[in-house]
Amino acid sequence: MLSILGLTRRFGARAILHDLALDLGAGEYVAVVGESGAGKSTLLNLIAGLDVPDGGQIRIDGTDIAALDEDARTRLRRTRVGFVFQAFHILPHLNLAQNVELPLVLLGTPPSERTVRVRELLTAVGLGDREASLPRELSGGELQRVAVARALVHRPALVLADEPTGNLDPDTADRVLALLARAIKARGAAGVLVTHSEHAAATADRVLRLDHGRLVPA
Amino acid sequence: MSALRGGPGPDPRRRALLFALAMAPAWRWAEGGVVYPEVRPRPLVFPRDHGAHPDYRIEWWYLTGWLDAEPRPLGFQITFFRTRTPIDPENPSRFAAHQLIIAHAAIADPERGALLKDERVARAGFGLAGASEADTEVWLDRWSFRRSGDGGYACAIPARGFDLRFTARPTQPLLLQGTDGFSRKGPEIEQASYYYSQPQLAVEAELTREGKTLRAPGRAWLDHEWSSTLLDPAAAGWDWIGMNLDDGSALTAFQIRRRESGPPIYAYASLRGPDSPQVHTFAPPEVDFEPLARWTSPRTRAVYPVAQSIRVGDRVFETQPLFEDQELDSRGSAGAIYWEGASRLSEGGRLAGRGYLEMTGYAAPMRL
Amino acid sequence: MRWLLAHLIGGYSRQHPLRALVAVVAIAIGVALGYAVHLINTSALAEFASAVRSVTGQADASVVGPREGFGEGVLAVVGRDPAVELASPVLEVEAALVEPERLRGRTLPVQGIDLFRAARLTPSLIGEPLVEDGEDGRFALLDDGLYLAPAVLAELGLAVGDTIGVQVGAQVERLRIAGSLPGASAGDHLASMDIGFAQWRFDRLGQLSRIDLQLTPGADPRRIAAAWPLPAGVALQTAGEASTRVSNLSRAYRVNLNVLALVALFTGAFLVYSLQSQAVAARRTQLAFLRVIGTTRGEVERLLVIEAAAFGLAGALLGILAGLGVAAAALRLLGGDLGSGFFTGVQPALVFQLGPALGFFALGVAAATVGGWMPARDAARSLPALALKAGSGLDHDASRSPAWPGLALLAAAGALLLLPPIREIPLGAYLAIALLLVAAVLLKPRVAPWLFVPLRRWLAARTLPARAAPWWLATTRLAATPRFAAIGAAGIVASFALMVAMATMVASFRASVDQWLEQVLPAQVYVRANPTTSASGLGGSTAYLTAEDRRVLAAHPQVDRVELTRSLKVSVDPARAAVSLIARPIDRADPAGVLPLTGSALAWQEGQPPPAWVSEAIVELYGASVGDEIALPIAGRAEPFLVAGVWRDYARQFGAIAIDVADYERLSGERTRTEAALWLTPDASAPQVIRELQGQLETRTAELAETGEIRAISLRIFDRSFAVTYVLELAAIVIGLVGIAATFSAQAIVRTRELGMLRHLGVTRGQILGLLAIEGLLVTALAIVIGLVTGLAVAWILIEIVNPQSFHWTMDFRLPVGLVLGLIAALLAAAAATAVVAGRRAVSGEAVLAVREDW
Repeated sequence: MLSILGLTRRFGARAILHDLALDLGAGEYVAVVGESGAGKSTLLNLIAGLDVPDGGQIRIDGTDIAALDEDARTRLRRTRVGFVFQAFHILPHLNLAQNVELPLVLLGTPPSERTVRVRELLTAVGLGDREASLPRELSGGELQRVAVARALVHRPALVLADEPTGNLDPDTADRVLALLARAIKARGAAGVLVTHSEHAAATADRVLRLDHGRLVPA
Repeated sequence: MSALRGGPGPDPRRRALLFALAMAPAWRWAEGGVVYPEVRPRPLVFPRDHGAHPDYRIEWWYLTGWLDAEPRPLGFQITFFRTRTPIDPENPSRFAAHQLIIAHAAIADPERGALLKDERVARAGFGLAGASEADTEVWLDRWSFRRSGDGGYACAIPARGFDLRFTARPTQPLLLQGTDGFSRKGPEIEQASYYYSQPQLAVEAELTREGKTLRAPGRAWLDHEWSSTLLDPAAAGWDWIGMNLDDGSALTAFQIRRRESGPPIYAYASLRGPDSPQVHTFAPPEVDFEPLARWTSPRTRAVYPVAQSIRVGDRVFETQPLFEDQELDSRGSAGAIYWEGASRLSEGGRLAGRGYLEMTGYAAPMRL
Repeated sequence: MRWLLAHLIGGYSRQHPLRALVAVVAIAIGVALGYAVHLINTSALAEFASAVRSVTGQADASVVGPREGFGEGVLAVVGRDPAVELASPVLEVEAALVEPERLRGRTLPVQGIDLFRAARLTPSLIGEPLVEDGEDGRFALLDDGLYLAPAVLAELGLAVGDTIGVQVGAQVERLRIAGSLPGASAGDHLASMDIGFAQWRFDRLGQLSRIDLQLTPGADPRRIAAAWPLPAGVALQTAGEASTRVSNLSRAYRVNLNVLALVALFTGAFLVYSLQSQAVAARRTQLAFLRVIGTTRGEVERLLVIEAAAFGLAGALLGILAGLGVAAAALRLLGGDLGSGFFTGVQPALVFQLGPALGFFALGVAAATVGGWMPARDAARSLPALALKAGSGLDHDASRSPAWPGLALLAAAGALLLLPPIREIPLGAYLAIALLLVAAVLLKPRVAPWLFVPLRRWLAARTLPARAAPWWLATTRLAATPRFAAIGAAGIVASFALMVAMATMVASFRASVDQWLEQVLPAQVYVRANPTTSASGLGGSTAYLTAEDRRVLAAHPQVDRVELTRSLKVSVDPARAAVSLIARPIDRADPAGVLPLTGSALAWQEGQPPPAWVSEAIVELYGASVGDEIALPIAGRAEPFLVAGVWRDYARQFGAIAIDVADYERLSGERTRTEAALWLTPDASAPQVIRELQGQLETRTAELAETGEIRAISLRIFDRSFAVTYVLELAAIVIGLVGIAATFSAQAIVRTRELGMLRHLGVTRGQILGLLAIEGLLVTALAIVIGLVTGLAVAWILIEIVNPQSFHWTMDFRLPVGLVLGLIAALLAAAAATAVVAGRRAVSGEAVLAVREDW
């Protein structure tokens, strides 16, 4: 699924990531921890194709995204990657079904198929009966669950989660993390969880620490 | 012949000569396209000649007098001019200013020490201003001077600053000046005017100033004169007196002064006694004006001999102004600055009469 | 605390200076345009009025009559009235110049005065003759000779001593310039002459134009005049009435133009509304924070309103200064005429009055304040808790926009339309238009779903290619948030509606005028003896077609038929402008053959007074209707006529009455003619006939013109009169577009997170821009649709109510389809481009990454 080799990214004279390597297969769920400013966000940006490395390769499903131009990376991201953000970023003017189907619209999926998959995912995250609800009617935890559904609806090869529970209370956070792990595994995707919470990182299969630009087992 | 109330006048031969001249084709004096008739000796016909003579260039009815007001007497002067302008006589418009009516009025109050005056000018027409040819009747808006059927005159002057109305009744016959009304003004025969006077007019006047009205009787003198050319080009102006003597006599005297220094171009005087209709006229060597006192106008810097010694024949009279500043600036209407002053007349040191002294051409040479 | 509030509120402006600048500039433009138009009109009017005053001087009142003059005999009665202190007779003549050749075709208004009377009342008309040394100049002013003011000498390029030639009837009279008018003010265009010679030389013996009067203090002019035997058509006009008449002549035009100029300010208010809505939404978290820490609703609302007012203050100040500059430049470059034709030839100086400046200043501040009031009210009323949640603030419509305010305004607008005009100004209609526009903007959020929801449904039901995803995104957003859709293009609704309305009115008017010209000019060639005189209608003209001329016209081999007309101006009411009386051959049984009648004509019967056909303006102004008797002043007598029909007339705003020339001749005894219409034989060539006749006519000022040429010139004059309106409309559109740019720019910044999130989900940069363009397009499309409907309604109001009430004419409705479609296309393109340009910042790399940072 995801294969990173020799990844280097510098900002000015400072090397944030230095000769980083990572291998993820389908169903593998890894957590990356580190202090603030260590480079976790940078790593995520590079994997997502939002940034270009100074050196090294990033392969998603065999394709080296570092060699692609921006639009190509964006299109790849569209099909291959799902995102869960810390601040939910659920569009408040769309109802839950519309929010979840958004990635499918971007792919040109026919409406009938969209309806089916949206229902499937919302049910999977426990919000199957709230399809037509508006985001303002939901709590933070419920919104993050919608975000999880959205991240998975298009069957991405890779799911990236950036501090998904940063805005949630501990109980809700646990439930969401469990859901995320389950959902990733169930669909055979690879998952990368970036967090500074050891507790959250523990929900993943492996925990890696970003230390001086490299990933080391935590 | 003339319906004069005057006497035989000059000797018949002279008269015949003058009338003969009148028959001859008179050469005319022209200005622009207008031809003004010359003054030739002719008999004056009344009441017609009381009226206006529109063909002639200039004409006036000039009335001066004294009012016996309390506590001090006042002098007054009213003049109505008629002038025929040199504009194109072919102009048929009723508005064409062929005839202008100009009026002056002045009250001499010694307490004020200056004249209270007003002047008007308008073109004749539309019944708003004009002079009748039938009899003395001249008006300008609401100012009027008129002779009524019984021979008396009525005058109304609602002026700026005062309102004067009076009647004037002749107490003596008409006085023809010069030779039966043909009055010479210079050495040339064409320098002449038709001229008669009404001296010793009995006046009843009503004068309103600043809301106060006073009524007073008085004595006045009327001159009616018309001409086309009066002044010799070398003339500067004239001095004239018209005096009602206390004994009922009427004294007229004038001199036409030269621009350069020298003897006057012409001089004349007439004296008529109270009872006799005989008018004694005097020719240049017999008439003499001698200044006694001078006054300088603060406004025009002109120097006027406001008191004069006048010799008429073998009598010598002296004038004394009611007050000095009786200068009239009429450049807005008649285009002249002159001194027109109520004056007393004395002879041999004793008060002999009252009237007016008029002096023109001291500020600038007169143009008529 | 207050400092904190001010800092929070003001900080936004510092962060987003462009928004503040746009708001200020929009207000400034609006105020500048309105103020400049007002200044130009006021200065021109003041100049005009002072020109009239310098002619009538310090008279308390004047006896005035028709342009042709009245009998001078009246002076004898008037002058002797004890209540009249001074009566100054005046003959005013519009002299038609023919020599020197370069001045041919121009006219010179000459005042014939009595020097002695006029000196007291109008000293500026007293000339100073140039007198040679030794000459006796005392009577020069009473003599033949023209005296011209220095301004006139300069303008005509003449000097004292020159001789000019003037057309009087068939003759050319030569007049010598005998001197100048030293008492005339710098701008006075005066010429005077002795009245006696004026009457003689201009062949006006026995006539006067007016008598200026000075009355005794306390005299009642009305009672005095009642005792005078004034002929019909001659009346006493007090000084107040004279200046009112001058002002009345152009008032309808000036007011309409002022209102039009305010359109830009109106649009500016809508712009402020858009911007403030945006700004309030962007700061809603801060505002909620303020509320939470204890600021009351009222204080928040006041703060926001003050902010809007501050923009208004800055903008209005800028606008006043700019307006002064624009007006000064326009006056210098263009003179005082903005197309009405009332003020041509006037070179006015800028008249600055504090009052109007303050007025427009206040208007600018008010526009901004009112525009910012509604968003402020909404901000104050929103619930703080809701506002503190994350989101861009415009995403949910906290409360559905109520429909009743908009509907109430519509109802009020309808009621206002029923109001009659106030002093010929259709205030009711103008207010109705304003309310209509506000209602349109208020109802926009209610209308938006009607457009977007079906669109969204249609798109959602289809399989869209991946490329078309932005359409799905755009329509789902617009369908769900109508307020967002409505606010962005509020300025466009107003400016587009007004543009459509004006374009429709002008197109309708032009088409009607064109058609009318066809009806009114059926012949091929037209001959006119008098050159055009000023619109004030003062002074009689000096030229007419002589009998010899008429013979020449009829005798030409290629002239089939000649129709002669006598036209003159008469005064029916001294407080109103003069009315045109047109005497031409009219068949009583079939007047429609020559007149463009509206409605049916009365069949005339023996024994009735002679028929007269009146223009629409006469009906409006004097209340005359078919079947009424009307008295017309002809040759000084009031002759009775019967109103037999109404016709349409675009040429004479103050009314025209047509009568049969036979009746006119019979009543006036006058046989002069001033115009002729020539029908040519089929083989004739109009230009050639004109060339041949021109050389043969005696009247040297006669003008011959081909009908086609006349129509082209008329339409050109028409277009020029409306040129100013086009400029004003364009300004409004530009403001509307700027509004779109500013609001979209602000929105894009606020939506950074949303757009960045989409980028994370795999929307390309190009697709983001596409999304913005589509949103811009759809929002503008909505505004255009609403604007179009509103614009047509406003056009209807303008055509059916404003024009008849203001100018007393009607026209047929015509929509300029091509122009409107072109406008729509241009606006859509501009809006899409603007939205994209404004949103580019939101698709930058840093913006994308900022999505994932802590807020």
